[in-house]
This record gives sequence, structure tokens and C-alpha cells, in this order.
Amino acid sequence: MKYLVVDDSKLARLSLIKSLKAHKEDAEIFQAENGIEALELMKNHKPDLVFLDLTMPEMDGYEALPKLLAIDQKLNVIVVSADIQEQAKARVLNLGAKLHVQKPINLDKMKEILENF
Amino acid sequence: MDDIQLTEDEKDVLQELMNIAYGNATSVVAEMLDAFATLSIPKIKVIRTKELLEEFHSLKEDSYFFATQAFVGEFSGESAFFINNKSANNLSKHLELDNEDDLDDAILELTNVLTSSLTTKLAQEMGTAVKFSLPNISKVPLDEIEKNKTFRYYDQVIVIDTQLNFEDQKINGEIFILTKDGSIEWLKNQLNIILEALI
Repeated sequence: MKYLVVDDSKLARLSLIKSLKAHKEDAEIFQAENGIEALELMKNHKPDLVFLDLTMPEMDGYEALPKLLAIDQKLNVIVVSADIQEQAKARVLNLGAKLHVQKPINLDKMKEILENF
Repeated sequence: MDDIQLTEDEKDVLQELMNIAYGNATSVVAEMLDAFATLSIPKIKVIRTKELLEEFHSLKEDSYFFATQAFVGEFSGESAFFINNKSANNLSKHLELDNEDDLDDAILELTNVLTSSLTTKLAQEMGTAVKFSLPNISKVPLDEIEKNKTFRYYDQVIVIDTQLNFEDQKINGEIFILTKDGSIEWLKNQLNIILEALI
């Protein structure tokens, strides 16, 4: 499986990748610091699952989400954000995200996500 | 005292922890106000107290309110919140308040909830806890900001600057988390522990 981790924070990316690798040792993981880089990686590597942050410079998650789905309508996008407002959750689900998860993702939550996607 | 600087990695870790803490705090305030807030990326810098006061001086021109809240513990310092005149008026309309005292009370409560949840969560993410000194939060008259004696206790401060932004209601605020000299070394150490655990 190919995974794309999109977050402007190195800490957030490292933390998420660590949880991911704890469950999927052989995972092929790509990293992007913003929506623009994510779109490039999406076109070139066709990941199966994307973990997408919302608050990022250059292109945020709200803008990147529909653009990622325009490349692959069946793509599974998990929004991983500190923004836990109900309206933020509703907005990303409405835009096509499969799930909205609060940062940071712990090992149990990652296991649950990987079992479902 | 020698100048203390944060490395890019340390800034990144602090920014991400602040992002998590701010997300939690905003959610509480958004529920209180029945409104949706847009989150911004926190700006982090280490500056001398003199520069901080200059920044506060430029902000106060258009400000209605300035409030501070001190916190103590391994991670200690002070949070400060500015709300401008236009936002204060819009908050008053949003909450249907009809006098200045009620508006002041509302802003103090908003500041209290926002900065307490923010600082508590930020400390928690760094594996510690903070206590708030009494009175919990105080309104500082704008022409007395520079005279505020607590700022004189600092030499250098880490400034974490973020925006509270309710777009639909046109309510904006600026929040500063100021970390004292002695806490900066502790903070740097904690940030590196967090980072090293992941590498």
C-alpha cells in the first residue's frame, strides 16, 4: 500500500509515520508539506490513502481535498487536524473526506483507521 | 544573559504543539459563542522584552481591550490577548449585550476560557502542568501596557502569536503566549525530547 502524509509540521509527519509504520512495516510512504506538493505526489505516485492536515501554508487542506479527489474520485482521504470544531468536521466530510481525526493520532486510532481503509 | 535561539526543528515542534492546543481551545470558545473559528498558523519568535513592548504599543492603537493571565510551573509565563474596537463591537452585537460592563465581562470570560485551555493543553502536550495565579485574569488599561510590571521580569521572551478569527461574526483577536527566561531552557529541552523520541 502507498500512503501520502500531508502536513507542514515535521513533528506531525514523523509522529504519524511512526504510528503508521508500527502497523504497516512495509508501507510505502510519501510526504508533502502543503497541498501543492501533495497534488504533485498524488499525480506521480497514486497513493491508496492520504492523511491530510488542514492548516498549512501555500495550499491548505480545504483547498487540496477536492483537488486530490478530482485526480482520483475513489481516493480515501483522512483529515488529521487540531481543528475539532463540529463545523470543520462537517465541512471536510462534505468535501469528500472519509474521516476527520483529531491530532495527534495514537497507535490505537491508527490501527482502527488501517483496519477500515 | 546570552541570547537564546530556537532551531528550526524546535520551532516546528512548538508550532505543532501550539496548533494542537489552539485547536482544542478554539473548539471550546466556538461552542461558547455558537460560531465557527478559522485557525491560523502560529508565529513563533524569540525577542527581547523591549521589542515585545514595541509590538504591543503598535497593537494598542486600535485595541479595545488587553488582558493578561500569568501561569506558573516548569513551563511558566504569561498569556496576553488583544481585541480591537471593531471586534469588540461585533462581539457585543453577536451576544446582544447593551452596556460596556457586560461586554467587558464577556471579553474577560472569553479570554479566560481561551487562554486557560490553550496554556493547559500546551503544557499537557509537553508533559507538564500549569497553575494560574489569582486573580485569574485581569484587564490592563491600554495606556498602562508598557508599565505592566510583570513584563519587566523578563529579559527574553518566546512569543507564540496566533489569531482568533470568527469570520462570519467579524471578530478577531490576537493571542500571545510569553515564556519567561528560566522557562526557555526547560522548553527547549522538552521540545528536543519530543523530537528525539520520533527520530
